[in-house]
Amino acid sequence: MVVRNYNQELEYLEKINSYCWKIKKGFQPNMNVEGVFYVNQTLEKLMLDELRNACRPGMVGGFLPGVKQIANVAALPGIVGRSVGLPDIHSGYGFAIGNMAAFDMGDPNSVVSPGGVGFDINCGVRLLRTNLFEQDVLPVKEQLAQSLFDHIPVGVGSKGIIPMNSKDLEEALEMGMDWSLREGYIWAEDKEHCEEYGRMLNADPSKVSMRAKKRGLPQLGTLGAGNHYAEIQVVDEIYDKWAACKMGIEEVGQVCVMIHSGSRGFGHQVATDALVQMEKAMKRDNIETNDRQLACARINSVEGQDYLKSMAAAANFAWVNRSSMTFLSRQAFAKQFRVTPDDLDMHVIYDVSHNIAKVEEHIVDGKQKTLLVHRKGSTRAFPPHHPLIPVDYQLTGQPVLIGGTMGTCSYVMTGTEQGMLETFGSTCHGAGRALSRAKSRRNIEYTEVLRRLEDMGISIRVASPKLVMEEAPESYKNVTDVVNTCHAAGISKKAIKLRPIAVIKG
Amino acid sequence: MSKRLLAALEYPNADNINLAEEKTLRNVVVWLELNKFQRAKQSTLNGLKNVSSKDWTIHFDDYKECFGCPPLSSQVEEVHWLLGQAIQNETSKNRNVYLKHAVENIKTSNVPSVVAENPLDKLDFRSTEFGNRVNQLAKTLKIVPYPDPLVTLQAVRKVICTRLTPDCVEHPDKYIVTGTPYPFQDADLGFDLHDKVLNQAAKVLRMLYIHDLRDLQTKANELIVAVQNVTANPKTDTKLGQVGR
Repeated sequence: MVVRNYNQELEYLEKINSYCWKIKKGFQPNMNVEGVFYVNQTLEKLMLDELRNACRPGMVGGFLPGVKQIANVAALPGIVGRSVGLPDIHSGYGFAIGNMAAFDMGDPNSVVSPGGVGFDINCGVRLLRTNLFEQDVLPVKEQLAQSLFDHIPVGVGSKGIIPMNSKDLEEALEMGMDWSLREGYIWAEDKEHCEEYGRMLNADPSKVSMRAKKRGLPQLGTLGAGNHYAEIQVVDEIYDKWAACKMGIEEVGQVCVMIHSGSRGFGHQVATDALVQMEKAMKRDNIETNDRQLACARINSVEGQDYLKSMAAAANFAWVNRSSMTFLSRQAFAKQFRVTPDDLDMHVIYDVSHNIAKVEEHIVDGKQKTLLVHRKGSTRAFPPHHPLIPVDYQLTGQPVLIGGTMGTCSYVMTGTEQGMLETFGSTCHGAGRALSRAKSRRNIEYTEVLRRLEDMGISIRVASPKLVMEEAPESYKNVTDVVNTCHAAGISKKAIKLRPIAVIKG
Repeated sequence: MSKRLLAALEYPNADNINLAEEKTLRNVVVWLELNKFQRAKQSTLNGLKNVSSKDWTIHFDDYKECFGCPPLSSQVEEVHWLLGQAIQNETSKNRNVYLKHAVENIKTSNVPSVVAENPLDKLDFRSTEFGNRVNQLAKTLKIVPYPDPLVTLQAVRKVICTRLTPDCVEHPDKYIVTGTPYPFQDADLGFDLHDKVLNQAAKVLRMLYIHDLRDLQTKANELIVAVQNVTANPKTDTKLGQVGR
């Protein structure tokens, strides 16, 4: 590989407009398509600083900078359109988190890469609304946070309170949210307001290793650790009155519950197992990539198909997991206010996945094509009238839930036609890390983080306070910058801003 | 396909026919005329009968004209068209035979038939009296009349069936949906027909489609709930819970 200095590298980057940069071919070897990333002024500085640091002599090891990772993805076989970096992009395993890429299903060389989905398969966000207002909740905020904490087990090694045996797990893996429905944990309306209706139909539990199932079984219905959380939030600002109205959000001050979680150890094991298989397939089929972490297999190979089937099972696991926590949150609220969840109007507004690969139809160079769309740290954002979005959102576009970091705001956006054309109907997923976990542990004291949350009037319950500083707002990009960039670039549209009043975390 | 048409017309040995062969094709035309159509002038018929003549095509062109056969890309296709014509003739000739097998007839033949006197059958739907009365009815029900009184009548029927049932009159809240207004005029249609009126019409169609879709989704939800009544048994066991570190 050629070694270039920072200024030489910059020659391959071109600013198209105030929110969008192009990565030209040649930035990394063998690029099949160009790369693109969306940033505003602040995020642009972070992005380029990262590249500058990586260009300093003697900088080896660790993840490649995000721009390099976007370009490496652009060199994968079968990629179409552009390799897209979203404003919250940061380095990850193989693909950067916040990178989306689409591969032509019609091209026999096209690949699927577990690195393009991530280890927490179908990590996602679900938003529930209530008919309560801030003043109803404030007096009992502490009790409510405690009640949620008691219902939803959190932290590394936590175990769920919904009894499951291995047969239940097999069924849940195959049926996704239909399992939760059958068992009565959720409402019929929850299913319609969920991406893919909460079930990947190609899931095949027999392709999942015993080890993954063993890890997953006790963890269903738990939140997990890391950046996962459940928050009680209050509507802070409404940008799009009509979109909010369609979501059942009438006024500022209305209380919502946001759940951010994924497929726990189960998804992690599925991804780990697949990577081992992929390395073998790459050798056999002579697939070359720029980065060893971009392990992949042809979509139509046995390894590729097995991965897609087990990934779908993991996706179903995540939906059942979020559904179980929906059930538990409804119970917690119902107990606290002594009314039924129905009377509290605790409907699911939407449920998005931000680590997933899906087969979708898109227009590429004027032709309709079937693509395998990888979204890692990126949310699907389909425009109004798209046939795959719920009937209630046909006029507004798909709701996109952008979870903030602990103590910061979250947003609800909607999908746009422009996003469909530019980014295969994808947008950002959250704030995106700015500091590595290790760095944030060194920089910030956890007591300080907790004190500041208290000052902001946010109740917090954590399983392991010492890990809190990894998730402190300082460790992340500013979610408002991220959301504003997507809005200004037109790839999605701001609808609602939410601020937390209580947080539970691993 | 041609073979099946020929078989239906009872052409001898229809299974082994190859219309791509010129001679066979010409023989089929002659057979069709002699046995099915019998419409050609004597001169044309003689010309067609002479299947090895060079002028056959001229006579064929004459012949197919008397059926109004459109010019097609090959003679095979034209013969195919003629076969279709012949089949149509046969079917209409034997209409009664086929109708005997129609679904409605099979059903009714098993049930003792009661000839109901429907007074509406005797109405003259085009009379001004009918039109005026329908419009009056529409006015009472606050329905905007449509130029065709039958369409207005359909709207009247719809309103009566959905809003004037005894249950609906007693408990109107159960039936009348109080939706929140939505400025659909400002909503993005998703495409542009470059015509204001057409765009407006497309928007209305969109709304009707979304309405139907909502109805379908609601029915799906009701079905799920009905199944849940049988299968649902959610359980929790707090003893299983364990908070991690």
